[in-house]
Amino acid sequence: MILSYIPIFFIDIFGSIFMIIFSFLCLLFAHELRIRDRNNVMNTYLLWVCYGLTGFAISRSVGHILKQILLMSEQPVLWSMIRPYSGAINSLMFVLVGSVTLFFERIWKVYQQISKDKKALQLAHEELIFLNQNLEQRVTERTEELALSEHKYRRIFEVSKDMILVTKKDGLIVDLNPAGRNILGYQDADSSLNGRRFQEFFTNQEHWNQILRTIEAQGSISNLEADLKHRDGTAIRSLISGSLDRGPLDEHDTIHFLVKDIGQKRLMEKQMAQAEKLASIGQLSAGIAHEINNPLGIILGYSQLLLRNEDNEEERQNDLRTIVKHARNCKLIVEDLLNFAREPEPKKSFIEIHGVIDEVLNFMQQHSDLDATQIISEFDHRLPPIELDEKQIKQVFINLIMNAQHAVGNNGTIKVTTKFNFTDNKLLINVIDTGYGIEKKNLSRIFDPFFTTKPTGKGTGLGLSVSYGIVKNHGGDILVESEPGKGSTFTVVLPVESASV
Amino acid sequence: MKPKIHIAGILLAVFYWVFIIPGQALATQGHGGIEGVYVHQFAHLFFIISMGSLIYWLREGGLVRGRGWKYIQYSAFFFVLWNLDTMMVHMLDDQFNIIQVESIGTLQIRINDVFNNDGLKIIYYFAKLDHLLCVPAIFFLYIGLKHLLKESGDDVTRQGPS
Repeated sequence: MILSYIPIFFIDIFGSIFMIIFSFLCLLFAHELRIRDRNNVMNTYLLWVCYGLTGFAISRSVGHILKQILLMSEQPVLWSMIRPYSGAINSLMFVLVGSVTLFFERIWKVYQQISKDKKALQLAHEELIFLNQNLEQRVTERTEELALSEHKYRRIFEVSKDMILVTKKDGLIVDLNPAGRNILGYQDADSSLNGRRFQEFFTNQEHWNQILRTIEAQGSISNLEADLKHRDGTAIRSLISGSLDRGPLDEHDTIHFLVKDIGQKRLMEKQMAQAEKLASIGQLSAGIAHEINNPLGIILGYSQLLLRNEDNEEERQNDLRTIVKHARNCKLIVEDLLNFAREPEPKKSFIEIHGVIDEVLNFMQQHSDLDATQIISEFDHRLPPIELDEKQIKQVFINLIMNAQHAVGNNGTIKVTTKFNFTDNKLLINVIDTGYGIEKKNLSRIFDPFFTTKPTGKGTGLGLSVSYGIVKNHGGDILVESEPGKGSTFTVVLPVESASV
Repeated sequence: MKPKIHIAGILLAVFYWVFIIPGQALATQGHGGIEGVYVHQFAHLFFIISMGSLIYWLREGGLVRGRGWKYIQYSAFFFVLWNLDTMMVHMLDDQFNIIQVESIGTLQIRINDVFNNDGLKIIYYFAKLDHLLCVPAIFFLYIGLKHLLKESGDDVTRQGPS
């Protein structure tokens, strides 16, 4: 088949020229890319591909152009000499470009990883620079925050009214707040707590063991009631909660305790119970007294009637007198009961309390066997006249002084003092005796009606009950402190109206 | 200086002995004749495989989303076609001597084939126009690089002078 050689000739010539031109342009661009970013391995790859293709383009295209020229000029021998070189270089360039390209995937992955690491490093670098630049400010801010926080919690520790205590696991006291020192009876600056252990302050060591066992098992303990020892030896009823704070090592473990002094609360609860008991007894007594009062009146009336009509027959007259006497006694007891229970409205007037007390003391000295008893009175003369029911108050003092006289017997001291407390406008009247005191078990019962430790016939057991009722009616209170063998102190607390102040 | 002159002299003598006065190589295997064509064909095959793998990894790595690498992908594709074309031409004339071409005067050629098949002659004739494939291939590479360069310039502009 005979065909035109022109298309082959021209496409070969111009194609070769284009190949050389574009291969050089590619090489130029790849070189430029490489210059712009020498660290980019992709640019290195492209540059090597372009080197290979340019080499290929030169060898092949120059070969083709020479081929056409030599064949046209009828010099096939010369072309046959050049042809193997052109072909060999072409093969070499293919292998070069192919080899570089086959590594492309690996190069690409490496490049991706490097880029990722580079970004991460850049971010870390920027963060470091930022931190470095702001470190001082951040440290200052953190320090201020820490100082504020420390101050806040230190204040809680310092001003808490409850004991806050930090100990080691073996009970060694690490830190104790001022309230805690106060509860245990120590001064703030007192160093005698150094080296002490918390268990030393327990009256019952079993409580401490129980705390340790519970904390070991559960990590904390809540509201355990236990008695702690005050410095003066008295017991402090306390409510103890604590929790374990684990440190990095066992020896760093600490226990944080919160201890509440519930002694006052318990006392108040007792007083409340006592008041409730007395109120109940009062209601009961009032009912009984009312029922007994009428028959007693009838018995007394008829006895007196019979006595009036009785002739001078001595035996019957004596019998009737005995009936009248005991009926009157019963009536007096009933009236006392009613006084205690009915809470009659006091008939108040402004009186000088010291005058009333002196009057009672004089009366008692005249009518009782107080000659051998030393009576001391110490009055606070700043006290203004106060509004009281004089008759009822006199009865209170008579009862208290009579009890004191019974307690001291023939040889002792009774001291009556008054003190006006300006801060809460209250008058405190103490009746102090050096008698045999009241046993602890009886303290809670002394205001109960008919409770008495006196021999039969010496007292009805209504004196203190009636006094309690009277003082309560005046808005006051009666407190008692007593130690067996040393004596008792009864304190009558009476409110003083602000008008009189 | 003397040792350098000696070394250069030795190298020159070796070059002269190897290339200028070739004799019969009795101790080594001969590599004349058709062996060079096979090497060239294998080089084409290697080029096809490398370009194919390039296309695969460009697509796998998502690089073809950018215009620069997309054009480089086209370039690789045209290089594959060109290699197939030239391998066929080499196979027909040099490797198996199926086609013989002779010049018959000004700008005309006669194509003969062992099968006396005109279709094969026509295919061979058009296959000889291989620049129609390799020129687009290098042109796409050129455009691709140009875009990469432009994108790189944009990046540099965005980042600002360092």
